[in-house]
Amino acid sequence: MSAKLTLDGREVLFEEGETIYEIARRSKKDVPTLCYDDRLDPLGACRLCVVELEGARNPVASCTTMATDGMVVRTSTEAIEKHRKTLTELVVSENPRGVEIDPLRGMASQELALLAVRYEADGSRFEGATSGRSRKDDPNPMILRDYDQCISCYRCVRVCAEQEGDYAISVENRGFQTRITTEFAGFLEDSACTFCGQCVQTCPTGALGDLRALQNADVPGEIEKTRSICPYCGVGCSVDILSKDDKLVGVQPAMDGPANEGALCVKGQFAWEWVQHDDRLKTPLVRKDGELVPASWDEAFERAAEGFRGVEAKHGRHAIYAVASGRAPHESAYSVQKFVRAGFGTNYIDNCSRA
Amino acid sequence: MPTDQDLLERWKDEPAPLLPLLHAFHERDSYLSDDALRVVSKGLRIPLADLYGTVTFYHHFSRVEGGRGRPRVCDGPICKLKGADTLLAELDGATAMPCAGRCDDPIPVLVEDRYMVGTPGSELAETPAPMPTPNPGEREECCFAHIRAEGRATLAGYRDTGGYRALARAVQEQTPGDVLDVVDASGLAGRGGAGFPTGRKWRAVADAPGEPKTIVCNADEGEPGCFKDRVLMDYDPHAVLEGMALAAYATGATRGFIYLRYEYPHTQAILERAIAEATEAGLLGQGILGTGFSFLIYVRRGAGAYICGEETSLLNSLEGKHPFPRNRPPYPVTHGYEDLPTAVNNVETLASVPQILDRGADWYRSLGEGEHAGTKIISLSGDVLRPGNYEVPIGLPLETLLFEWAGGPPPGRSIQAVTMAGLSGGFVRDLDVTLDEPCLRGRGSFLGAGGIMVFDDSRDMIEVARQAMSFFAHESCGKCFPCRIGTQRLTERLAGEAGPRNADVWRAEVHDIGHTMAAVSACGLGIAAPLITESLLRDFPDAVNAHLENGR
Repeated sequence: MSAKLTLDGREVLFEEGETIYEIARRSKKDVPTLCYDDRLDPLGACRLCVVELEGARNPVASCTTMATDGMVVRTSTEAIEKHRKTLTELVVSENPRGVEIDPLRGMASQELALLAVRYEADGSRFEGATSGRSRKDDPNPMILRDYDQCISCYRCVRVCAEQEGDYAISVENRGFQTRITTEFAGFLEDSACTFCGQCVQTCPTGALGDLRALQNADVPGEIEKTRSICPYCGVGCSVDILSKDDKLVGVQPAMDGPANEGALCVKGQFAWEWVQHDDRLKTPLVRKDGELVPASWDEAFERAAEGFRGVEAKHGRHAIYAVASGRAPHESAYSVQKFVRAGFGTNYIDNCSRA
Repeated sequence: MPTDQDLLERWKDEPAPLLPLLHAFHERDSYLSDDALRVVSKGLRIPLADLYGTVTFYHHFSRVEGGRGRPRVCDGPICKLKGADTLLAELDGATAMPCAGRCDDPIPVLVEDRYMVGTPGSELAETPAPMPTPNPGEREECCFAHIRAEGRATLAGYRDTGGYRALARAVQEQTPGDVLDVVDASGLAGRGGAGFPTGRKWRAVADAPGEPKTIVCNADEGEPGCFKDRVLMDYDPHAVLEGMALAAYATGATRGFIYLRYEYPHTQAILERAIAEATEAGLLGQGILGTGFSFLIYVRRGAGAYICGEETSLLNSLEGKHPFPRNRPPYPVTHGYEDLPTAVNNVETLASVPQILDRGADWYRSLGEGEHAGTKIISLSGDVLRPGNYEVPIGLPLETLLFEWAGGPPPGRSIQAVTMAGLSGGFVRDLDVTLDEPCLRGRGSFLGAGGIMVFDDSRDMIEVARQAMSFFAHESCGKCFPCRIGTQRLTERLAGEAGPRNADVWRAEVHDIGHTMAAVSACGLGIAAPLITESLLRDFPDAVNAHLENGR
């Protein structure tokens, strides 16, 4: 790093190609944003990240301004904070007042609410028409489209195009009539959407929400996050398992997951309800006279061992092949391969996740 | 009737194909159907959701069967004064469109590609646009010097009055550097409103790496109260083409686009005929005048969006993308059309260039008043006796234009205020100003593209301001928050539809919104729009108080 700029009176070294916002953030400056997601090309829409740049007539959006050697930048002045407050008040005025956004809607869903607290924007200024139009008619069971809360930051549109490559959602109309839409303003299931849920997780207002998780909105208790790896396939996406007490209430992608960087697919994001499903087996079953009937663990193990031994005796150890389920915990997957490799001495072991 | 495939084959391998292909379907079907969009999406490989969204951005693309045949009636600020609302009610199925660039004529009505004018209770007539009146100040002109000559719009007529002389000399005797030097020395600056020195822009394109380079003629004249580019293209199209060719020679560009606003269909025909004539005569196309210099010009018609007059929105529109303005830097001179070096110049700027090269930089500089270089076309409309286009020396006193050249207000009336830069410069009440940027910027306004609308003492300035802000709200692209929300909130407050009832709180809200919009908006639209409310608060405090007492 050879170039340097002055940030709030202190010299900071930077790499060519860094934006002022990136430098400010790693220098622990609390520059607010609403349209920023560091996985996406900066758009410069919300203008909250404006900073004073010496020599520039107006404040500049730090997210879209490349740092150049010798710049003198101030991230928080009275004038800048006043603009941020006005902008926050304006954006809060776009949505109906006083709606609680459940954190289960999505991982970024509290961004606007927190900003409103920071700038004391309670919706009392700039009263007028609201801009969002919710799509309560969309029958899909996974993604809530509560556009009454939408602030047209375009993060959903951009994540769908730039990260997922689906281009399923886009921008309709202009100005205050701008709406987030799909082809011909239809339902998600009739569009190119793959229900990966990335739009949900980047939405800063909860306008897009995780309907599966929201089924647990009324479950009492604090949300706890447990870092894990999605078991469904071999990519190894990092996830945070959301729970309240002992109940699994949702899954969120990990932004710092090395394999996924915040991405998931429809299965990883939305298909976890079977964990607590009523139809799940709770006891082993063995077949008697062609019928599966509940049995004790001892009886089941005995029957299984008998079968394996019989095959091994008749056809040799390589006649045994095991496939572990992607829906089983990682610990079980480990045990199965240990059992097959160490127990039978064969490498014929696989997992349905190796897709 | 052409098939989907015919239309696709006609356009898919042409440069900037999306807009003309959409227009082709729009014309054939009289609207843009879902099926048409599916064909275009597949044929041009544009995601369907993106294409759908982009089509809805433009207000002249109809998505309703038969929509293209329904009358669009101009309800711009001046047409409102002439009874646009009554005319709208008279015409079956008519809807309003923002200023259609003919404020010196009766009210424009667009039906398909027929551009007519009329007033309530009268027949609509398809008449040519008014020619600039004979120069009333008897001051030497640049752009209008020959425009009134018979047949100037034809190649023969243009050449009879010295046309293409500058281009011939440039390509046969001068280097591109020579051309750049003359344009630099002339002091010519962008006449579309931003006022960037033309020579510097061209030099930046000439020096930028990457090919092919492009010249874009910005003919998306969308500013209410501006109708100067139309008259130049209608009556002097070859001057625009010659200016583009000179720009291409100076910068090394090989392709050019004229991005023409939707509302000028007749102008498209004039330009295309002029391009065909010039190409036939070896003045455009491959190997111009027997030299190695080649330059092709394509006309692309917009579809109704003021923001596409902003150069980076225009480039996105040409490229078939959603027409949001781009973040700058990088600027179009290095990353323009298809991310390659591009000069985007206004019609008037380009039309000035042949004269400047023909008659010299010193001649052009001397046309201005005092220290000011050159001329500016002013589109003057509203409450004056002789509205129209006037080419004025830069630095001319506004009062000279209003009272001596244009005859002043109607008898018995006085001028209450004028707008500057169409609507973008807000209101100017003190008429003791000169028509140049230093003077006008010193008064919190700017000359911009040169539209001046005059309002006499019978006009309700709050209502004029409301219409102006409603225009900006209608045309805000929706990308940046301060403009998207701010124009809406200001409109509501001027209309008395929403906002605080306490006068001091009202003023504080209007001022805070305007202040933040002007400081942090992403492009010129949001930066300029609050000049309307700022000048209203400054110059018409009594009208504001009355507005707040009645109603709000």
